Amino acid sequence: MLNLQRSPGVRLRTRWAGFPYVLPMLLFLAVFLIYPIFRVLYLSFFEVSMLNMSPKWVGLGNYVWAFTFRMPGQEGVYFLASLGRTVVWVGLSLLLKVSLGTMGAVLLHQPLAGRQVYRTLAVLPWGLPWAIAAMTWAWTMNTQFGLVNGMLMRLGLIEKPVAFLGAPLPAFLSTAVADAWIGLPFMVVMILAGLQSVPEDLLDAALVDGASPLVRFFRVTLPLIRPVVLTTALLSTVWTFNSFDPIWVMTRGGPVSATETLPIAIYNVGFRLLRFGGLGKASAMTMVQVLLVTGITLGYLRALRGSQEVSS
Amino acid sequence: MKKGLVKLGTHVLVILFLAFMLLPIYQMAITALKAESEAWLTPPSLYPRNPTLENFIEMFEIVPRLPLFMGNSFIYGLGVSLISLVVAVPAAYGLSRYQIPARRGIIFLLVYANMFAPIMLLVPLYDIMRALGLLNTRLAMILAGSVFTMPLSVLLLSSYFETVPRSIEEAAFVDGCSRSRAILQVVLPLVLPAMVAVAIYAFITGWSQQFVLALVLIQSPDLMPITQGLYQFFSRSSVRWPELMAASFVAASIPMLLFMLVQRYIVQGLTAGSVKM
Repeated sequence: MLNLQRSPGVRLRTRWAGFPYVLPMLLFLAVFLIYPIFRVLYLSFFEVSMLNMSPKWVGLGNYVWAFTFRMPGQEGVYFLASLGRTVVWVGLSLLLKVSLGTMGAVLLHQPLAGRQVYRTLAVLPWGLPWAIAAMTWAWTMNTQFGLVNGMLMRLGLIEKPVAFLGAPLPAFLSTAVADAWIGLPFMVVMILAGLQSVPEDLLDAALVDGASPLVRFFRVTLPLIRPVVLTTALLSTVWTFNSFDPIWVMTRGGPVSATETLPIAIYNVGFRLLRFGGLGKASAMTMVQVLLVTGITLGYLRALRGSQEVSS
Repeated sequence: MKKGLVKLGTHVLVILFLAFMLLPIYQMAITALKAESEAWLTPPSLYPRNPTLENFIEMFEIVPRLPLFMGNSFIYGLGVSLISLVVAVPAAYGLSRYQIPARRGIIFLLVYANMFAPIMLLVPLYDIMRALGLLNTRLAMILAGSVFTMPLSVLLLSSYFETVPRSIEEAAFVDGCSRSRAILQVVLPLVLPAMVAVAIYAFITGWSQQFVLALVLIQSPDLMPITQGLYQFFSRSSVRWPELMAASFVAASIPMLLFMLVQRYIVQGLTAGSVKM
């Protein structure tokens, strides 16, 4: 910590003396992060598309469009349907990430022979490019040639192969599973780090009291790692909301629009379905996404502060 | 006896969990190693009966530009790595050594920035790169990619700088070193492991996760990163899965192996950002 006994003038000089070090980063983020956020806000009030890049003021027109536009041949308001779908899809993926992540972390925390090998293997997928992970999942879930159908049929669990990506509901579930899989190593590692900070003597005390493993887990371990699970889950929530690659690669948002979550819809409206949208309309949709992410970030910071108060 | 059973049961559960975590990677590996005739069996064989490396040769025949795509990803990785280091190292030093004005605000900005994904900045990044005349250039991909590696790079490095005692620098000052010499010759060597970790982390991200950015910033196939280039195995009527999986295996093993080296640091960086709020 800085020496606070110096005179205020010296302190001020010292404070600003460090500024040049941070300046390049601030400039970089100002140009490529902060300005873009305001640019999205600005563009959300204009009619602009890749076909016609000179912005035309439309006021709240893009927002009105977002809340009223119905895609021909689809049910409901396009943006709202996609938003609702996103919430369910994120919830599903997150449920898998948190439950399997906690389970995996607890398992890998057990004192087993070969634990280090198990841990290494469990986090191996973390380094996999998301797009490649998604392609591989699509192939693994392939109706005729994929391992999942192959194994299920050999085990006699199904008679006919399932078209995991061919029908709306299976595709919705399958993409969520693939997304959860991509995010799982992160969950496992973070929760494992949390578990390692749980004092052994607390568990030992519970053991002496004759508590069964399940009781020990739910009454001792879980409450202690709850803050870690909560903050990790919030961080993961944001990333899941932003998840684009798995859905885009596996289904392109289909079949019909079954997996068209907000990120996919933003891309479609901004860059693909130029007839219906454009960059202005995509910006209005992005603003909703930015608000969502900002809200969750604030919740995340609050949870962090809470967990620090608990731990310190 | 009971204890042994519990142990055995735990092993079984761990292996089930790992089976799920490794399923696609296993699928990728066996498909890459199967002969053409075996890859298209229904139901599929669960392991390659006659493992062959022919797909690893044929992939270059089907997509001759494969080395080019890998080269592009390599350049993107290197560029993102370079920018992240050059910008993040001084920033991290400043944040850890000075009580900079609005320090809390800056750290909040970094945590907030860490929440952003390319999809949220797709429209403005496209707009800015167009205005700068950078559309369809490698520089656009590198600059845009660095936005998303910057927060974690700075947070990770500054938490590592904190572990280097100030007294070491101060001793160098006393010996008559200028501040810049003290930083270059005394401090940076001590944080070298973290710098290497950040360089590798940024490289992996640049190599792996430029997929969405490439969709809007790049039109020319010659500038495609490997994740986009793999689509060349898709034709209108079919997908050359065996060769695609061989190429994916090569493209994925590079970041996967590198990631094992830096995973520990990344976890530190992710948890450390919060600690100093």
